Amino acid sequence: MRPAGLIRSLGAVVAAGALALLPATASAATPSVTPSPSAATATTVSISPVDLDGPAVSTVKVTVTNAGPERMRSLKVSFGGPVGWAVQPSVLQVDGSLAKGASAEAAFRIQVPERRAGFTVRTFTATATYRGGDGAGSATGTRTQHSGTPLANLAAAYNNVGVTDESDTKPGNYDGEGNSFSAQKLAAAGLRPGGTVDALGAELRWPDVPSGTEDNVSAAGQAIALNGRGSRLVFLGSGVTSGASGTATVYYADGTSGSGSFGFPNWSFDPADAHGATLVASSDGRNRPHGYGNAGIAYRVFAHSIPLDPAKQVAFVVLPGNGNIHLFDLAVAP
Amino acid sequence: MSKLPAVSRRLLLGGALATTGALATGVGSAPDAAAAVTAAPVPRRRPGQKSMVDVPYAVHRTVRVGVIGLGNRGAGMTTGWSVVPGCTVTAVCDIRADRAKRVADGLAAAGKPRPAEYGGSDDAYTRMLRRDDVDLVYIATPWEFHYAQGKAALLAGKHVVVELPIATELDELWDLVDTSERTRRHLMLSENCSYGRNELAMLKMAHEGLFGDITNGHGGYLHDLRELLFSDTYYTDAWRRRWHTRSTASFYAMHGLAPIAAAMDINRGDRMTTLRATATEPKGLADYRERFVPRNHPSWKETYVNGDLVTCLIETAKGRVIRAEHDVSSPRPYSRINSLAGSRGIFEDYAGVLSSGGGRVYVEPDHSGHSWRSFDSYRKEFDHWLWKKIGDDAANNGGHGGMDYVLQWRTVQLMRAGLVPDIDVYDSAAWCAPVPLSVMSLAAKGRPVEIPDFTRGAWVNLRMGLDSRATEMPPVV
Repeated sequence: MRPAGLIRSLGAVVAAGALALLPATASAATPSVTPSPSAATATTVSISPVDLDGPAVSTVKVTVTNAGPERMRSLKVSFGGPVGWAVQPSVLQVDGSLAKGASAEAAFRIQVPERRAGFTVRTFTATATYRGGDGAGSATGTRTQHSGTPLANLAAAYNNVGVTDESDTKPGNYDGEGNSFSAQKLAAAGLRPGGTVDALGAELRWPDVPSGTEDNVSAAGQAIALNGRGSRLVFLGSGVTSGASGTATVYYADGTSGSGSFGFPNWSFDPADAHGATLVASSDGRNRPHGYGNAGIAYRVFAHSIPLDPAKQVAFVVLPGNGNIHLFDLAVAP
Repeated sequence: MSKLPAVSRRLLLGGALATTGALATGVGSAPDAAAAVTAAPVPRRRPGQKSMVDVPYAVHRTVRVGVIGLGNRGAGMTTGWSVVPGCTVTAVCDIRADRAKRVADGLAAAGKPRPAEYGGSDDAYTRMLRRDDVDLVYIATPWEFHYAQGKAALLAGKHVVVELPIATELDELWDLVDTSERTRRHLMLSENCSYGRNELAMLKMAHEGLFGDITNGHGGYLHDLRELLFSDTYYTDAWRRRWHTRSTASFYAMHGLAPIAAAMDINRGDRMTTLRATATEPKGLADYRERFVPRNHPSWKETYVNGDLVTCLIETAKGRVIRAEHDVSSPRPYSRINSLAGSRGIFEDYAGVLSSGGGRVYVEPDHSGHSWRSFDSYRKEFDHWLWKKIGDDAANNGGHGGMDYVLQWRTVQLMRAGLVPDIDVYDSAAWCAPVPLSVMSLAAKGRPVEIPDFTRGAWVNLRMGLDSRATEMPPVV
């Protein structure tokens, strides 16, 4: 078999010089921030740091190392960034084969937007498919880069009015249709401003803000600073419309991260255990734009959680990118 | 300019080229309704001829502008050029010499250097092009003159900015591409709406990924021009109305098409591949004439053949769809549509009072509940650096909400700093290709027509464009 040497794109003509022609070398890989799961003989896929100083077209190098016992053949490398970021090309094919311990490097170009203010998390993924090598057939590497500072706490991310007084319901818009929880009915159910809420082993706190002001977060990938060490991260909230579920990512002080999925039932009509959530409180009726109504129908608050690595100190959490998830608080459970 | 050249047969209703092209694919068998009509083979580059992609301007300490065409548009833009730092208007030309004198008088009265005047004949511009103190030629004549004047300016060694469209026929578009490559001079469409504040914010949001993977976009030029078209003074010799008597083309959809194309990175990773056109019956102008135009007006001898609403559906190599509309003969409020959508959201411009800028937006995960949101906060966050930097100047100096001045300021900056154009000849040709291609598709009963790749393969490469990095205007010494 020929040694790996020629890397070419698939499916499109690419101008000369757009792609690096890189010979296989032993272990020239740049470690990724979150390397793919590896054993001593597993194929590794690593992604070079991405220059995020946009707007620009940046070059990214993906290194595939064959740590398996056999030569690696029919190697194809794909690369992608955050959704909507153009990549050229999307797939590269490596001609020839890679000896055990050898690496191939593929260069991609990616369109990087202007750096956004605030906190951003950018995740890049490269996947190698191949024959031979470690026999697995494919391997994936990811790189996550973030910039900016997380919000100080959940209150700093409040972007929605979920609770109003029955005497003034107009400010409310929990569900996008002008409806909100009744402060009076929540109090009757045990949820008062600043009051503690014990759920799933965590001590949470109901928002300590006046009725009719922003008191919860419609999740949109916000990064929230959070200190603590424990077994679970507990979320307090409920869903609107449907499909109020998503993945939260926890970043630890040592630079590593973990993630977990959770969801809430709709504040009214889903089964109370939908998505595996736990009912915390049920209030009677809701405030509509022109006053209290829907008496006899329960409008509810739930708790749910994702696992934490108890050995690590939590630094911040990135909320799911799903605006149907509304959060009143979050806390670490021992 | 008063003298109209003979109109090419290819732009006549049911144009010869369109018919020829359609039949050529179906000789000897029933036409395949799904097959695209091949517009024309891609011409080969001459030996030594090279692409102008990513070619920077040579550094110009001062940009000296010569203007051809001093009607409403040209006269207004001449003032704009004269106030851009580091730019001076050195020559002005119009077939009507009195216009050249009036514009020169106006610049002198404003304290600007008095430009040389050219006029009195339809080839007066060729004498202006011989001047060695003109770096950039701006052309704002009737459409039928753009190609010849643009090409002549390139051959004279000038960079060129041409009002819409740069040309009206495919072979002319190719010739401008080739002439730009051979002369190593840039030619760009004066596509001011590509520098619109909403359009640029939309572009930056697309690049950020807020709309997810872009799947479709809509744009157009929907402007009730009936009163102006029948005016005896606004369009010299009624040149624009005359086009409605002799062509079925989508004349002027570029203002809506170009910003969508930019957001889809057309010629920068994607390209437009096919176009299919539809047209409604031409009712609007005749109806307006019936109600408002005296019977002794010369327009009563005219028959209008350009459909009121000409719609082009354009597909791209990445499977996206663009709808580009053109309607200047129906009663309606102004709109360029300007809508972009993808797997995670949508932006719509001209959507009423939801935001101060007229746009509305819905992007996940920021939004849910099936209700539109104001565009204001997004326009503020994704405001293009050009508007942050010169927005106030643009409001004070330019027409069309400041877009004209932004285009002019940026063009001068690119030339003075020696940068790569935001809009090049390939973009300009691609955005203007629907003019002849819509004629071809309509003649072929709406069959898709292939859109040429004016980059000759370079479209696959990612590169910078209107979403540019902030840079300073070189200081004026």
